[in-house]
This record gives sequence, structure tokens and C-alpha cells, in this order.
Amino acid sequence: MCREDGSSEVQLGQTHIMGFVTGQLVQPYRDRPNEGTLSIFTEFSPMADPSFETGRPSESAVELGRIVDRGLRESRAVDTESLCVLAGKLVWAIRIDLHILDNGGNLVDAANIAALASLLTFRRPECSLGGEDDLEVIVHPPEEREPLPLIIHHLPIAVTFGFFSSESLLVIDPTHHEEAVMVGKMTATLNANGDVCAIQKPGGEGVLQSVIMQCLRLASRMASDITKKIKDALLLIESRQLGSEMVETYNTERALRKIKRHPTSITLDGSVNLKEKLNEPSGHNVVNELSRKHLEKPRLASAENASSPGNNGEGESKSSNFGRSSRRDGATSNFVGGAASWDPYSRGVDSDFLKASLASRGTLTPKKKQQDPTGERKPNESKPEESPGDVIPTTSAMDVSETGVHKGGEKTLKDAVKPKHKRKKKAFSSTADAS
Amino acid sequence: MEVDRADGRNPNQLRPLACSCSILHRAHGSASWSQGDTKVLAAVYGPKAGTKKNENPEKASIEVIWKPRTGQIGKPEKEYEIILKRTLQSICILTINPNTTTSFIIQVVHDDGALLPCAINAACAALVDAGIPMKHLAVAICCCSAESGYCILDPTKLEEQKMKAFAYLVFPNSILSVLPEGSSLVQGEPMEHGIITSVTHGAMSVDDYFHCLERGRAASAKLSDFLRRSLQSKLPGDLSKAG
Repeated sequence: MCREDGSSEVQLGQTHIMGFVTGQLVQPYRDRPNEGTLSIFTEFSPMADPSFETGRPSESAVELGRIVDRGLRESRAVDTESLCVLAGKLVWAIRIDLHILDNGGNLVDAANIAALASLLTFRRPECSLGGEDDLEVIVHPPEEREPLPLIIHHLPIAVTFGFFSSESLLVIDPTHHEEAVMVGKMTATLNANGDVCAIQKPGGEGVLQSVIMQCLRLASRMASDITKKIKDALLLIESRQLGSEMVETYNTERALRKIKRHPTSITLDGSVNLKEKLNEPSGHNVVNELSRKHLEKPRLASAENASSPGNNGEGESKSSNFGRSSRRDGATSNFVGGAASWDPYSRGVDSDFLKASLASRGTLTPKKKQQDPTGERKPNESKPEESPGDVIPTTSAMDVSETGVHKGGEKTLKDAVKPKHKRKKKAFSSTADAS
Repeated sequence: MEVDRADGRNPNQLRPLACSCSILHRAHGSASWSQGDTKVLAAVYGPKAGTKKNENPEKASIEVIWKPRTGQIGKPEKEYEIILKRTLQSICILTINPNTTTSFIIQVVHDDGALLPCAINAACAALVDAGIPMKHLAVAICCCSAESGYCILDPTKLEEQKMKAFAYLVFPNSILSVLPEGSSLVQGEPMEHGIITSVTHGAMSVDDYFHCLERGRAASAKLSDFLRRSLQSKLPGDLSKAG
């Protein structure tokens, strides 16, 4: 099996990004002789969007690279001093390649998560000084000595908001339809400790300070949520790697939410707390379910691997059924904060979690209905909006949305659930082999 | 003569194949193809108006963009682009939409040997997914020959490096037709015995080459079956022309 680390694949709704991390030994910069370097390369592949072209990176590509770079480098998330091997002579240069495969909107957030995920799983070979005078550097191949992970102090998570011309409307995690009509956007990069690593608001419509503060509060909640999920996924991978050397993917689903200004944000907090209390006991079930799902996955994947490819059809329907049923159970219990929801199996899940998260803000939905923004909305998202605000998500409502997902994306659901094809975490023996 | 392969396969055995279509939303057609650990993602954008300067405006033209896993685009990638473009030109029907450009984007996800055949297979699957008219599909395979003259199929990267020579071969997909005279015979031989593309690296004798061809042809039948099965399951009501 592949033993490579340092790659990740992130799916955020329809946005699909892959990240690869490689390392090379180079000479350090003159003014920083004992620090390694980190560089980020973003590839806006033409497969993501017909308007992307090869050749010179466009403005948005450069901007994306800069936002992710700023979040990682200036907040000192990655410890560059530990990358030094021989001060002044040899340091590790870490290179992150982000390939945008599918542009469903909000590339910044997804690219950020992909970069973090691949950095967390990257392993560099161990070096030691040897030879005469201890000045020769020996790079140990992974067979000799276990490669080391990078030292990462904290995880800066980017959260993007979109503003519309109607003042009180803002959107988190815009899709590409929304991006086409929004008038302003803001990206806030925070970490789970509540530190703001970077804020980027490039022009666009002016927004009130109170809105900005509200955005930051929301972003901070989402950041801690996502950090937790990334860490959970990592733990699962590591336990699996120790066990059967299988690989995993990250698949973050985020519900799209329309949020009003601060008069209603208070109810937001209140209802969410209520939800949390109700769901305390079932919280464990969700975790167990998730881990059960993951345990099942390698079995399915290995079954597919061993058999001839003709089994593909059966394998995927099995896992899709499994994923769907556990989602039905899991969706009743809301995750912490009701913010991001994570299901590694399907892209079509967002309407379920949208339902669950909307239900937690049940008092808001009637008001939201008046404020329907421009008609650029995916059909499966509009479904939960239409159902009246239930405080507790009833299973009947969930089934409605679920069948909606079914109808709309039967193929994509099946495709998405195939465990084998989503296996993406690979090892990369990071000896200096770039040529 | 018997040969021990590192992963325990026998010389004629292919790695486990996997194919999935329609994985991207914006692209008109997309497919991912993996043979063992080698995995390639292909996306197609259907005909766009206009052709490039040097292209013949009387016909549709094809543009291929190859994206390696990491690093800059260099000569090997350009070579792959050219080979892929010529191969695809021979299987697409170019007279249907003149003065248009169909773009293929190939993204290497992981390279563990037999990269170009994997990419060709992925591109064909993406073509079917996009619904672009073709004469027939193509299946590609890699055969290598070692010093002692035996030939093995579908090598991994390590095996490729150890071999004396290897060849990438592309055969047309076999035609499954309802009418008995449907399967076309070209000069007495069934069509699927033709070769669309052959790229060799290293030196091998003529006999070795023909030996590889035969083995490759036999294996291509298996590949065609797999391709047909996986594409049929994706498109239940719509059998592609070439079967």
C-alpha cells in the first residue's frame, strides 16, 4: 500500500481541492540563516472552472495564495526554526502545492484547510550530522529511521463571508453562484485559541463595524469547530495507519446559512445552547457512529481492492446505504455550535445539516423567509428554507430533505460515497528528489 | 519463464482497476482512473468556439493540459500532452463541430508506474461522461520487457525503472454490436487488433516488441470489458456508441 504522507483532499460542498506537501534541502536566506522556508503554490487548474487558464496566475489566484500564506507564515503556525539542519548551510524548504479541481465557491477556506491538513500529515526524513567534523548531513531514508512530522503550533482557519447589497444580509461560505452576485467579501483567519491571524476585506461594499464584529464572533466559533474536526480526522488516520495502513480523505461539509444582524444573534446563541444541552447524551453516539463508519470503511475498501473492479457497483451501493443511514441518525444531534457539520461520505449531505442547524435557530427561519435574496440558490438548499422553523428537527422533515438530495444527486451521492476513490492521504518520502 | 514480481502478480496480471465518472461539477465530463496506486483525474470541457492559430479550422481541435503532481511543467509533461492529443484526435470524430476546441485537463494524483496509459484511459472515460461523439474508445496498457526476454504487464514504478525497455500501447476498444456484420473488419483482421499509439522507451528487439504487442492486445480485451462495465453502470439508459 502507499505509505505516503503530506497530501490531502478537501471537499467543501462542490468545491474540491487537493493539497500536496514536499520538502527539499536548500540553502537558507542570507538574513535568516537558521530558519526553514515555507512556500505555497496555487494551481488554478482549468478543470475547476472554464474561465481559469493556464499560464500566469490570475488576480484571484494570487490573492488566494497570499491569504493562505499570511495565515500560515505570519502567525507562525509552522515552526520554521525546527526546519534548520545546519545553520547557514542547509535548511528544509517546505513547498505546498494546492490544486483546485472544482470551483464551487469559497476557494480560500477550502484551500486553507487543504494546506493545513497536508502539513499535519507531512513527514520529513530525519537528518543527522555525521562524517568528519560533524559537518556532513546524512538524510535518513524512511526505511532506516522514522520520518518526523512538522511542528505546528496552531491551526489558522479561514472563514469567508459574503455581503450583499441588502444591508442586513450576509452569507458564510458562499457558493460560486453567490460569489457572482455578492458585492463584498471578507475572509477572517482565526485559530481555535481565539487569536485573529489575518483579516482580508478587499474593497467592495462598506459594512458597519458591528457586522464585522459579529462576523468575527461567528468565525471564531467555526474555527474551533473545524479545528476539532481536522484533529479528529487526523487521529482516525493515525490509528488506521498503525493498524492497516489505509488512507483517508477529509471531507468537510458546511451548511450555508443566512444570518441576520445582531438583534437576532442573541437568539442564535440562546437556541444553540439549548440544543447543546439536549444533545449532550447523544453526542457520544455521534462520535461512536462516526468512528464506526470509519472502521467500516476500510473493510469495504479492502473488499473492493481485493476483488476485480466489477464489484465497484456493489461496493458503492453498500457504503452509500451505510453512510445514509448513519447520517439520518447522526443528524438529529447537532454538533457543537451548530456550525460546520462534517460527513466524510457525501457531498449531498449539506441539506440535512442545513436542516439541523437551521432548526437550532428555529426562531429565525420565519424572518429569513421574507428576506429571500436573489434567486441564485441550489434547489436542495431552498428545501430546508421552506419548511417552517422547527426547533427540534423532526425526522419527517429530515426525510423530506434527504429524498430531495436523493433525487437531485443520486449519481453524485453514489459517486461521492465510494470509499476507494476518495482515498487520498498518501505518503511522500520527502527526500530531496525534486528535479 | 517464471518471474517474481514484487507485489506477487504473475506477468500477465493487471493491477486492480477502478474508474469513477462525474466527480467534478463544473467540468462537462470528468473521470478518475486508477490502476493500483497510479491515479489520474481527467476533466473535459466540451467544444468552445475558435481554434488556436496553427490548427485547422475545418476540423474540431483538441487541447490537452497535463498537470503534474508537484513542480513546474517541463518537457516530459509537454511530451505527454502531445501524445495524448494525437491519440484523442484519432478517436474523436473531428468533423462534427468544425472550428471548435475541446479541452482536456489531466491531473496526476499519484504516479506509481504506467502513468500515460492510466491518463489515456481516464481521458476516454471522461469523454464518455461528457457525451462527446467518438468513433470508438481506446484502452491503453503498458508492457515492459526485461533482459531475459520475458514481458510483463502494467508495471509499478520500481519495476519500470528496473526494466530494459517498456512500451505504452493503445488499442481501440472492441466493438460489441447487435448486427453480425457490425464489427468492422479491416483487411481481414478485426478492428481491435489495430494499434492507435505506441510509445517505447529503451531498446528492445523486434521479437520482443511483437511479443509485447500480443500480450498487450490480450490484456486490452480485459480492459475493454472493465471499461464497458463501469461506464454502463454509470449511464444506465445510454450505451456509448462503441460499446
